[in-house]
Amino acid sequence: MTSSNYLILSSIVFSIGFLGIFVNRKNIISILMSIELMLLATNINFVGFSSTLDDLFGQIFALFVLVVAAAEAAIGLAILTIFFKKSGSISIDTINKLKG
Amino acid sequence: MTETIFYFFSAVTIISSFFVVFSSNPVHSVLFLILSFFNVAVIFLLSDAEFLAMTLVIVYVGAVAVLFLFVVMMLNINEVVVKEGFLKYFPLGLLLISIFLTELIFVFKDIELFDPSSSGISIIGLLEQGNQNTKSLGLYLYTDFFIIFQISGFLLLVAMIGAIVLAQNDQISVRSQNIFKQKQVKKNDIIKLK
Repeated sequence: MTSSNYLILSSIVFSIGFLGIFVNRKNIISILMSIELMLLATNINFVGFSSTLDDLFGQIFALFVLVVAAAEAAIGLAILTIFFKKSGSISIDTINKLKG
Repeated sequence: MTETIFYFFSAVTIISSFFVVFSSNPVHSVLFLILSFFNVAVIFLLSDAEFLAMTLVIVYVGAVAVLFLFVVMMLNINEVVVKEGFLKYFPLGLLLISIFLTELIFVFKDIELFDPSSSGISIIGLLEQGNQNTKSLGLYLYTDFFIIFQISGFLLLVAMIGAIVLAQNDQISVRSQNIFKQKQVKKNDIIKLK
């Protein structure tokens, strides 16, 4: 595979994630899933460059991206559950209640 | 042959990512997310990143996606309400995404990379020394990138503590011993002579 294959695949996946953030205004879980898709696209990029440029650093950095994605998912879902408990919805329109 | 496998799995990845965004049931979205993670893991395997592929399956599918599934099933989400305003934002989003994607593909279509014989960590050189992918990752992760590795471990610790503190229910009273209060009790408070 050439590097443009990886780049085009990752840009398509990234754009789908971006579109998901745009259209899912009533569902924060979908937005979190879209963020996961975007992080996955960056990981595809890192591994693709690591493979085509013959450099291990891309894989090491992809590992750190994985760590950040896991931490972000855990924190985001924890905030989401208490937000749902307090307000009864997961819409992004009511999320300004988080201001207190 | 490898190209064909790559194209097949990337096509399945793109289709399942579409369904993550567009399916009306959140449970279906999470299942399609798992499917696209699996396909990307196969693409990583094709690019000789075996450890990362297995980590993707374990961490993403085994932990993150299951966490999503738990939360989706725990919260009682109304499917009709969730898709409200979908069509309102769709045209603008599609316009922006098509501009963005057209630009990116125009740039990436026949990109010329710089000379790869730079001062990076050569994977082929490590393979010739008899190091497999996991071993060579470990050789560099625990030596050159040790500080970053420690920081990422600390980040996970902070995230874990944060998640526990956030999810803790304050209403449940735990019957525990408060030593300070216990020592403050005077004789007159508990024994009354009438």
